[in-house]
Amino acid sequence: MKSLDPRVNRLPVIGQPGQILPKAPLDQFGTFEVFVQPKEGKPFQHEGIVHAPNLEMAFVLAKEAFTRRFTCVSLYVTDTRNVYVSPMTDGTVNAYEFVNEIPTQSGDKTSYEIYHLLKRGKQHQHVGTVQAVTPQEAMSEARKIFKNDKVVYNIWAIRTSDIRFTNPEEKELWLTLPEKKFRDASDYKGGDKLKEFLEKAK
Amino acid sequence: MYGGGNTFEGIKTDSVALEDPIKLAEFEARIARGEKIEPTDWMPALYRKQLIRMIEQHAHSEIIGALPEGTWITRAPGFKRKLSLMAKVQDEVGHGQLLYSAAETLGKSREEMIQDLISGKSKYSNIFNYPAFTWADSCFISWLVDAGAIVNQLANAKGSYGPYCRALDRICAEESFHLKYGHHCVIYLAAGTQKQRDMFQEALNRWWPPMMHFFGPSDKISVHTEVLMKWKVKMGSNDDMRNQFLDMYVPKIWELGFTIPDPNLKKNTETGRWEYTEPDWEEFKRVINGDGPCNKERLEVRRIAEERGRWVREALKSAKSKYVTPLA
Repeated sequence: MKSLDPRVNRLPVIGQPGQILPKAPLDQFGTFEVFVQPKEGKPFQHEGIVHAPNLEMAFVLAKEAFTRRFTCVSLYVTDTRNVYVSPMTDGTVNAYEFVNEIPTQSGDKTSYEIYHLLKRGKQHQHVGTVQAVTPQEAMSEARKIFKNDKVVYNIWAIRTSDIRFTNPEEKELWLTLPEKKFRDASDYKGGDKLKEFLEKAK
Repeated sequence: MYGGGNTFEGIKTDSVALEDPIKLAEFEARIARGEKIEPTDWMPALYRKQLIRMIEQHAHSEIIGALPEGTWITRAPGFKRKLSLMAKVQDEVGHGQLLYSAAETLGKSREEMIQDLISGKSKYSNIFNYPAFTWADSCFISWLVDAGAIVNQLANAKGSYGPYCRALDRICAEESFHLKYGHHCVIYLAAGTQKQRDMFQEALNRWWPPMMHFFGPSDKISVHTEVLMKWKVKMGSNDDMRNQFLDMYVPKIWELGFTIPDPNLKKNTETGRWEYTEPDWEEFKRVINGDGPCNKERLEVRRIAEERGRWVREALKSAKSKYVTPLA
């Protein structure tokens, strides 16, 4: 290939131009849901997804995709399949009305993280933790603790042990060096140069 | 960054009539109230289809758009410009990821989207089929092509599909640096030597016709367009977007003493709209259908990248993994 881009000219020749083998399912891996804590003391909120081969890589890729610019204080990820989802309501009824209260289950309780969607178009936010044996019981427990007058559109529950959290020593990931300002619009002050140019042009 | 003037699929008008009228009325009422549609909501098949198409084209444009600008990374003038340009190109690829994810919530897998890009089935913004001959071409893209993209993206961010709007809000915020960086580059060329000024003028002459194509041909007022507008898939006509771009940026180009290569370009003070020579839509069609200066190269680069990454993806693939549609 003859290109204006020297990097393209260095590409090796592989396969036939214009032909690609059909992609196998999961060629791009499964998805992981990403949650970000914008500031200390603020709740974690859902930000989007990444494709990754495993939980650890999902954490690394989430850091690249979602916190490259807006720094945050913490981030975590979980496999999409580990999110237990309530029905979505249209806002006239609380999503908790669709959650059945079930009797306390026998067995070892583990903790579940609970998330609310409070407005359409917004993101799910973390509201707290409950102890339960199954995700259904976690929803039922959440109903007892978190249901109030405010309409909740949708509820998520995730077993805490299914989440890859940020370790305390990893928090320095988001300490941007003071000299690395080239990703900020404020680093490009062309005003003086422009003024000088316009003066000269007169 | 991406190109507007999305090509929507032609559909028979009766496809909407086949939808459940009660559900359709609820869906339209929700949009009329200004509420967002979320992936789990009921939606007409046509809405889903056109959104997938639009978001997917946008995602491809981000990935392909990184190529013409990236041409100059190795030869950017100075370390600072190189850092900025690399950060910008990284951003564009990141935006592609966010958009593929948003499209995926509608039910088309990422594998299918990448396949359709490389096989030429899906389109991307036509402007990226043109080459960046000099550093000034790269500056034109950073400033003005990005500016055009932001005009489109700010409008689309007020659309009706929740995941797309959330991705666009994030993208628009990140792109504020792109625009400032691009303008900064052009100011320095304008205030530089005669050779530098000439270099940008030549880039402007080359890129103006594709820039006018960028927003797409005038929309035919059809039932189809009306439905897409009512559903807040399409947020404004191509001509409105083009006019808004000209309003914002022609004065800034003139301020720097450059000439726009269209003798008929002027603002009609009575109508408040810009008048210009009608762009060559035959060329636009020819290039979008594959016969542009760089179409083959752009797709070849993507294809080779996919081929070279194949063994890595296969090595990492877990047998336990199973695909489910992402949540939001």
